Amino acid sequence: MDTNFQEEFTQIIKFEPPLYKQRYQFVKDLVEKYKPKKVADLGCADCSLLWMLKFCSCIEVLAGLDICASVMKEKMHTLSPLPVDYLQPSERSLTVTLHHGSVAHKDPCMLGFDLVTCIELIEHLEESELKKFPEVVFGFMAPSIVVISTPNSEFNPLLSRVMLYRHPDHKFEWNQAQFQSWALDTARCYDYSVEFTGVGHPPTGMEKVGFCTQIGVFVRKYPQTGESVQSEKPTEAVYKTVFKAVYPSLKDEKYLQNAVISEVIFTAQIIKHRLMSKREEYGDDPERRSKLQPSMDCFSDYLGKLVVEKNMEPFVSGNEVYIPLATIFSVPKVNRLCGTFEKLCKLIAGKVTLSSDGSAVMFNIEHENEEN
Amino acid sequence: MTGRARARGRPPRQAPALAAVGDAPVQQGVPGQLRGRRHPQQPQQPQQLQQLHVPPPQSEEPGGHGRLRGFESVLQERRPEGLQVSSGLQDLSLRDRGGRRRDFHDIGVNTRQAMVHVQESKTGFSGRMIKLTTNHFRLTSRPQWALYQYHVGYSPEMEARRLRSALLFQHEEHIGKTHAFDGSILFLPKKLENKVTELFSRTRNGEDVKITVTLTNELPPTSPTCLQFYNIIFRRLLKMLNLQQIGHNYYNPSDPVSIPNHRLMVWLGFTSSILQYEENIMLCADVSHKVLRGETVLDTMHSLHSQVGEERFRDTCAKELIGLIVLTKYNNRTYRIDDIDWDNNPKGTFRKSDGSEMSFVEYYKKQYNIEISDWMQPVLISQMKRRRGNIQGSVALIPELCSLTGLTDKMRSDFNMMKDLAIHTRLPPEQRQRELGRLLNYIQKDDNVQKELRNWGLSFDYKSVSFTGRVVQGEKIFQSGTMFDYNPQFADWTKETRGVPLIRAVPMDSWLLIYTRRNYDVANTLLQSLFKVTPSMGIRMNKPNMIEVDDRTEAYLRVLQQRVTPDTNIVFCILSSSRKDKYDAIKKYLCTDCPIPSQCVLARTLSKPQTIMTVATKIALQMNCKMGGELWSVEIPLKQVMIVGIDCYHDTVSGRQSIAGFVASLNQTVTRWFSRCVVQSRGQELVDGIKACLQTALRNWSKWNKCLPSRIFVYRDGVGDGQLNTLVNYEVPQFLDCLKSIGTDYSPRLTVIVVKKRVGARFFAEIGGGLRNPPPGTVVDTVVTRPEWYDFFIVSQTVKNGCVAPTHYNVIYDTSQLKPDHVQRLTYKLCHMYYNWSGIIRVPAPCQYAHKLAFLVGQSIHREPNMMLSDRLYYL
Repeated sequence: MDTNFQEEFTQIIKFEPPLYKQRYQFVKDLVEKYKPKKVADLGCADCSLLWMLKFCSCIEVLAGLDICASVMKEKMHTLSPLPVDYLQPSERSLTVTLHHGSVAHKDPCMLGFDLVTCIELIEHLEESELKKFPEVVFGFMAPSIVVISTPNSEFNPLLSRVMLYRHPDHKFEWNQAQFQSWALDTARCYDYSVEFTGVGHPPTGMEKVGFCTQIGVFVRKYPQTGESVQSEKPTEAVYKTVFKAVYPSLKDEKYLQNAVISEVIFTAQIIKHRLMSKREEYGDDPERRSKLQPSMDCFSDYLGKLVVEKNMEPFVSGNEVYIPLATIFSVPKVNRLCGTFEKLCKLIAGKVTLSSDGSAVMFNIEHENEEN
Repeated sequence: MTGRARARGRPPRQAPALAAVGDAPVQQGVPGQLRGRRHPQQPQQPQQLQQLHVPPPQSEEPGGHGRLRGFESVLQERRPEGLQVSSGLQDLSLRDRGGRRRDFHDIGVNTRQAMVHVQESKTGFSGRMIKLTTNHFRLTSRPQWALYQYHVGYSPEMEARRLRSALLFQHEEHIGKTHAFDGSILFLPKKLENKVTELFSRTRNGEDVKITVTLTNELPPTSPTCLQFYNIIFRRLLKMLNLQQIGHNYYNPSDPVSIPNHRLMVWLGFTSSILQYEENIMLCADVSHKVLRGETVLDTMHSLHSQVGEERFRDTCAKELIGLIVLTKYNNRTYRIDDIDWDNNPKGTFRKSDGSEMSFVEYYKKQYNIEISDWMQPVLISQMKRRRGNIQGSVALIPELCSLTGLTDKMRSDFNMMKDLAIHTRLPPEQRQRELGRLLNYIQKDDNVQKELRNWGLSFDYKSVSFTGRVVQGEKIFQSGTMFDYNPQFADWTKETRGVPLIRAVPMDSWLLIYTRRNYDVANTLLQSLFKVTPSMGIRMNKPNMIEVDDRTEAYLRVLQQRVTPDTNIVFCILSSSRKDKYDAIKKYLCTDCPIPSQCVLARTLSKPQTIMTVATKIALQMNCKMGGELWSVEIPLKQVMIVGIDCYHDTVSGRQSIAGFVASLNQTVTRWFSRCVVQSRGQELVDGIKACLQTALRNWSKWNKCLPSRIFVYRDGVGDGQLNTLVNYEVPQFLDCLKSIGTDYSPRLTVIVVKKRVGARFFAEIGGGLRNPPPGTVVDTVVTRPEWYDFFIVSQTVKNGCVAPTHYNVIYDTSQLKPDHVQRLTYKLCHMYYNWSGIIRVPAPCQYAHKLAFLVGQSIHREPNMMLSDRLYYL
């Protein structure tokens, strides 16, 4: 290669979007494709990959591991639930945990994951750690998929300001052959298949150099034989948990109940309000009162298609307004939350005032609007 | 209620911040560009500074309150982006959310030093003693405590703040685990061995860097910088306790109170501020409630649509939503809705920093994996304020992804909703202190928090401060030759005044009663009741001109135009609904074009037989005041005194006007008031208008009294946090100027008192082993006041439930030579003089009158009312 040509290139090569983002995007695409429920990021550093992944709706368990606790703590609060997560709990459950520890040690908290990512991790490992690494990740954790990315040293001459390695903490940087041979050996040993790819395309005419970041995607060949495999491994916890956030979720009975009660009462209030304002408008004139029923139609725009059956009509009796639970249950949002009518009844029991037979939500209207 | 309008008028607390590292803000060009997308022919204007942004992805950049002046000047050296606090707190930054902020606690303003007569003492003496506790807690530091301030220099120069801290913290063995660093200034709890320390680090790229750490300051515990520092540390502690920051305060998300009837959720949280008080540095902590809505802005829009229909939909949305604060689904920021862009939708695009265009739909999908389901919704616009540099821009928000916080005015006027809320938010004294105790308990029990405090050498006294206050005696109420006391426990004399003639009853010889056909019966009932209640008040009332109108605004206006004569005393309108436009039109016409006092009442208010007599009594009194009558008085011992009240109203929805209401007493008994108001558009200074008001007020006073007042008291309400300095340096000199301009030999004694209703302090009386609200007339002028001010608190009103809030009075200018006790007494007397309430109110009557005036003008009239009305309380 002509030196001048090469020098010229060092000025030009700049990745857009930046390479780290491309690596994260690669992981995100993988998550979209395989829809793993449990994902662990080894060497999670400042948690930025984890932060991106928390928005992926398929993930229910997210774990990070790093040898340096302070770098994790620096931004770990970004992994906490937001106020809105409490206000509108999501359907899925999500738990995010950060562990302080080494990939050279086994800890049972890392078992049972679907996807383990090691983005720009292995080149930071000392030789002794690197030796233990495959046994820990592939042998012990044994997730369905492992993603490993590492710098491609063949690309280094194209980057400006790279002296020996891209980062002073790198213990080595492999060329394509070195990485692939290590990966193939590892895959063979632990019964995984591996495919190679990367991010950061080489300039045209220099494709031989390969991607700037080389990536190996390992897929376990045979499904896990079950719990027995894991229970055989007597390990004790060696990692220290530095952070744990459990996101509010409708899977949690407490949040589901709150959401249902809130939705039931709100719906009932709307129906009551409509009913009362119609009554006020038409007064006690029975002829005009009969117009009350068709009005349900325009109302159902808001509540979705309501099946208006005879026994589902809300009614007033004395100082009380009754809104049948069946009507409320037919509202799509309530329906979706509860699933079954029985569940609805169970969730609101004791929390919402019901008629004596428990079939309708009851409001007392005696004292309303008094001081308005 | 007064505070609300003002609060909403404030600039938004958070300016949307800088993008986090690695995520350049996606910038939209000028609004022109936004539109340019739809009209490509429009030329782009590169110089324009308006930018539209999508909110930055990373969550908050937390921090404490606004900087002190002194602190800021220190830090300005290199635009700091944040000060990091160490030992497990690296994520915490000393830079406040939203960047620079004015001096929130008005710390640097020392007004007392200029007032010689209160140098020695600013305390009063009258009244009986009362044992009080408060919500203040002493902050203690170990003996010889100091904060060490270092300057940190890099050679070669390093730009990135993160890199600077990373390089510095490679040397934790030297500087210790406890530190606060903003990129150039380092605070340590201990002194380094040498005055100058040189350290060597290496960057990722293998570059060697020399770091020079130089001691620049040893700060004593009471220095302003330290105070600032304590506040930041304390807020960090709240964060360590897993409380969520919303706006200014921290809230506990894990135990919300849900109010499903109104789809509301209430989070319990705390406000905190650490300040130098009279003798000690103390933490003032209070329970705070955050009302959140369990629905998105889009949900709200949908329900508005179903309520008002297509025609009024956009207007209603603007009225309901603009000015509200929203939270987003994807980051931990709050934004204020400043506008709604109906021409845009999620498919609309914006320009990213790299120049490429992207739609909102794409952006949120890519950035947060969020699918926007409704592609037809409009886009909310939030203005960014005080961005670094000169760039002013706005953020586009998608309604579906935003949750509302707080209450709208409409919700506040919903009696049932407020009642349901009050159950959870109005905590009685005992419970309030208990909740506060829980916070302190968390702090005390949490190991990490305690460790952090220990590392800095700080601790709190977990028992709240107790001291003695005074309860000044109740006032005697005078009404036409009779005099009576009121029950001090209730601070109300409704019963006592019944059947007693008014000081000055204005006859109703000629008046109009306007009603719709439906309300014919109501009108008659009212009339009969008025005839029953007015004689004992001494009001002579003729039969009104009864006029039936159609229930349309134009119909009302036509009647007014045709039937109001110069002899008309007052116009009474019975309205059938609380539709604001009708009310506004009537008020506008009768306050400007045709200056006649008017009384509007909702038919519903008059429709209950059991309350009609009470209602009629109140209405009769109110009408009498509007026509220039006087109800009662208290003894005002000062002679030739003019009392002025000023308050402001900020219109957030239309036109963004601000209105200053100005009232000034006209007579010795302080029973008649002159009023004017200043309508000013955005950016205009209020002061010039107020100067003119003062001039006319003096002219009127001299007309009434045949001389000029020898004493003037100004009660200035509507002063926001951090505006004290402006008031002292700008407004007070203008008052003095104005007085000078009256005549060379005229030099009255002037006292200017800043009135503040929204204060963090709460007082509890220790009665019978329990905590109660202190009785009206409780004055506090020690311990929790500020040493650099001539200030005091008065609890003047009573509350039925919850905790009574004291009002803070800060005398910023005083040549009266009066003893503090007399100023306190006068202030308390004036709280008795508000004619719309036969009881003691929270602020001096002139402030409340000024508020009423500003509110009426701001809400309904939008320009200065006719001067013909200026000697009457027509705005009640």
